[in-house]
Amino acid sequence: MKKVLEVRNLSKNYGKKGYETAVLKDISMDIYEGDFIAIMGPSGAGKTTFLNMLSTLDKPSSGKILLEGQDITALSNKELSLVRRDKIGFIFQEYNLLDNMTVQDNIALPLSLNGAPQREIIRKVQARAVDFGLESHLRKYPYQLSGGQKQRAASARALITKPRILFADEPTGALDSKSGKDLLGCLKNANEQENATILMVTHDGYTASYAKQVYFLKDGKIHSRLTQKDSRKAFFEEIMTMLAVMGGEGE
Amino acid sequence: MKLLSLSFSNFKRSVREYGMLILSLTFSIFVFFNFQSVIYSDSMDVLENYNKEYIDIIVQAASVVFGVFLFFFIWYASNVFLNQRKKEIGIYIFMGLDNVRIGKMYMLESVFIGLFSLLAGIGTGVLFSKLFQMLLLKLSDISVDIKFFFSWEAILITAGMFLVIYGLMTLKSYHTLKTSSVLNLLSGAKQQEMQKEKWIITFLKIAGGVGILLFGYYLAWDTGDLNSLGNALGAVVLVIVGVYLLFSGLIPAILRKLSGNKYYLYKKERTLWVNNLAFRMKKNYRTYAMVTVLMICSVTVMAISIAMKQRYEKLTHFDQTYTYQVLSSEEKNGEEIAKGIEQENKVKFWNEMQVAMVEPSVVHSKYTYTAYGLVAFSDVKQAAKKAGLPFAYKELKDNQAIELSHEVLMDISGGAIENYEQKIGSETYDVIKSDNTPYFGALQNNTKIFILSDKTFENLKSLGSVTYFYNYRIQDMKNMEASKSYLNTLAQSSEDGQAFTGVNYTQIDGRQDSWIRVMYSLCIFMFVTLVLAAGSIIFLKIGNEVYEDKERYKILEKMGIQKKSLRKSVRNEICFTYYCPFILMTITSYFSVKALGNVMRENLLMVNIWSMGIILLVFTVICVISVYTARKKLSLTS
Repeated sequence: MKKVLEVRNLSKNYGKKGYETAVLKDISMDIYEGDFIAIMGPSGAGKTTFLNMLSTLDKPSSGKILLEGQDITALSNKELSLVRRDKIGFIFQEYNLLDNMTVQDNIALPLSLNGAPQREIIRKVQARAVDFGLESHLRKYPYQLSGGQKQRAASARALITKPRILFADEPTGALDSKSGKDLLGCLKNANEQENATILMVTHDGYTASYAKQVYFLKDGKIHSRLTQKDSRKAFFEEIMTMLAVMGGEGE
Repeated sequence: MKLLSLSFSNFKRSVREYGMLILSLTFSIFVFFNFQSVIYSDSMDVLENYNKEYIDIIVQAASVVFGVFLFFFIWYASNVFLNQRKKEIGIYIFMGLDNVRIGKMYMLESVFIGLFSLLAGIGTGVLFSKLFQMLLLKLSDISVDIKFFFSWEAILITAGMFLVIYGLMTLKSYHTLKTSSVLNLLSGAKQQEMQKEKWIITFLKIAGGVGILLFGYYLAWDTGDLNSLGNALGAVVLVIVGVYLLFSGLIPAILRKLSGNKYYLYKKERTLWVNNLAFRMKKNYRTYAMVTVLMICSVTVMAISIAMKQRYEKLTHFDQTYTYQVLSSEEKNGEEIAKGIEQENKVKFWNEMQVAMVEPSVVHSKYTYTAYGLVAFSDVKQAAKKAGLPFAYKELKDNQAIELSHEVLMDISGGAIENYEQKIGSETYDVIKSDNTPYFGALQNNTKIFILSDKTFENLKSLGSVTYFYNYRIQDMKNMEASKSYLNTLAQSSEDGQAFTGVNYTQIDGRQDSWIRVMYSLCIFMFVTLVLAAGSIIFLKIGNEVYEDKERYKILEKMGIQKKSLRKSVRNEICFTYYCPFILMTITSYFSVKALGNVMRENLLMVNIWSMGIILLVFTVICVISVYTARKKLSLTS
């Protein structure tokens, strides 16, 4: 299996010199193609900081992050934006769709900016919309959609360029359980059928149970790791037990 | 009072936040006040009372234009201000304030802003009015010492005008706030954006806009005769309405079409900027229309200015064909007079003609104050040759005549009628041509002269009294005073008034006409102000939009869209905003300037091209600044 992301001895400190607080301490992990990983942990465990670092939005204090063998911590801002454009996809909790264009244009935007041929863009957007149950909403503007539809549209936009890895920050955070389920179903499909690599941060056990592996962060360190073996339901039970063991927030 | 202090602290904050709004209100008051103070200051009194009236009329007209401009500008500015505040006001409502109280608070805040702008505008206006008048007179080539002048009337009129317009707009905003729902307020400006329109409405708007514009153009084209004034007024109103409809119909339709055609849209940055423009068009078309109309006004004003200058120069040239004109009831020795002049001045050329001056009744004219004269063809021909004036006529038939007319500043009388029949004495003659070559120099201004064939002239000259014209042009016009003492000795009249000799001196320093010069300088000022106003409205609008766009660009950057692409998108969008009204203005101004050319009997195409070039330059400079500041605000600078 191809290694997509390699994290080595990652640390992150905040604050002025001499008064620093360590948010992440010496984290190492490998992510392979086709992985679907959830990162869990109580508030303040450093989940979002970790994700921001992996997704190039933030820089670590020390350590290395290798994306397909390239150390992204050493890249300039310009190179980073190229990495983001070509290799990384994002889903945010607050959707972040552009409100001034239709769903279709939102999904097409990354391809169009990359200069792909129009015919191909239209075809890909159409196919993706079918996968994500958006085909009847393509001509609508974001404000005409429900939260779940918006998040699916945002996911479709993130996956349209076939990124090496998709980062999702609390993707179901603002959704009701039905919309959340729909979205997770879509992500799971993308993972299973297109072999998309997904890394998702969540505090919700149910959401995490859609992943193949769950990493638990506590006090800036990887506390433990669970891998899905048979059913999703059993995996969910396992996750809940682990959260209870860890203390903090057991939901 | 709590409400008062809350609105005052809001105002203090908005001085920083809405600085551009206050600045532009101040600027418009400043401009309006300066024009008003030209009317009431006494520095213009040097132009003799007679002409001051003319200037006052012009300045009044300019004030009306600026009044209209002020109206639209304040309307626009207060709308922008209201929209920016809507969300915040919605939150106040959530906090339990009722609409009426919020409306009151908003009104108080507006009053603070209005009064502040008014004081600032008039304050700077008073300080700069002297400078403005100095510039104006300097540009008009009139040297006067201008005292610092302070006019209460100008201040009162400016303040009154502003307070009425601003008050109306504030009341309108108050009404909007009082009647709008919380939801409406919270979603703020978004409500109005990008609403689908029924195609039939779009079609009607476009058809109406194009139709009205075409009719306006037709009226503009058809100017140059007696109904010019009505036509011009009609054309102005139609063009404004047409431009408005076109911007509300055609441009949004085109943008919708473009954003709907994915084969066009999905091409690099187009997805971003075309969508953004289409999305905002609904909200923006009024601004575009207003800017276009302002620019049309500015080009027209510039054309008026240049046409005035050209006409004025022609008039001066016409009058200065000859330096001295000696008229006498008896034949003199022209050569001898020339020698007399040569004692002090070198004569460039001279000629002589005899004219039969006739009573108006002879030519059956109802204008009893105009002088009429008859002259022989060969006489004019030899005189024209000596003076180097063109004279391209073959012999006249005995029943033909040529009318000599003069240059006019503006002509709405339908121009010279040619090929008409003129009764002189008992016979009727065909007037084959009306000619305004100054064969008789300045004297042609108030004398209507007919050229007749030599034979006809011989027959008819007994109808009037023959006067001998001796026309001299000297080399150095500035030295014309030197020969006056000699020429004055020639002037005499017999006791019975039958025999006389008179001398006409050309005016080289036409103070009487200085109002024309003041007029064109005023026009240039208006041009500059209008262009700057148009530019700054777009500038303001873009500044406002960039503020809204910040979020979007943050998202785009997170998505990994390269700054280069975003910079391009920003540039394209802003360029469209500046150049789209410009293009419509280019088309429209061609017609308005053409209409003006018809009235002024001038070819103004070059003026049109030049003034558009200047606007293009100004707009490009503002556009570049706009793009730069927008990129800076969106943190997209490289």
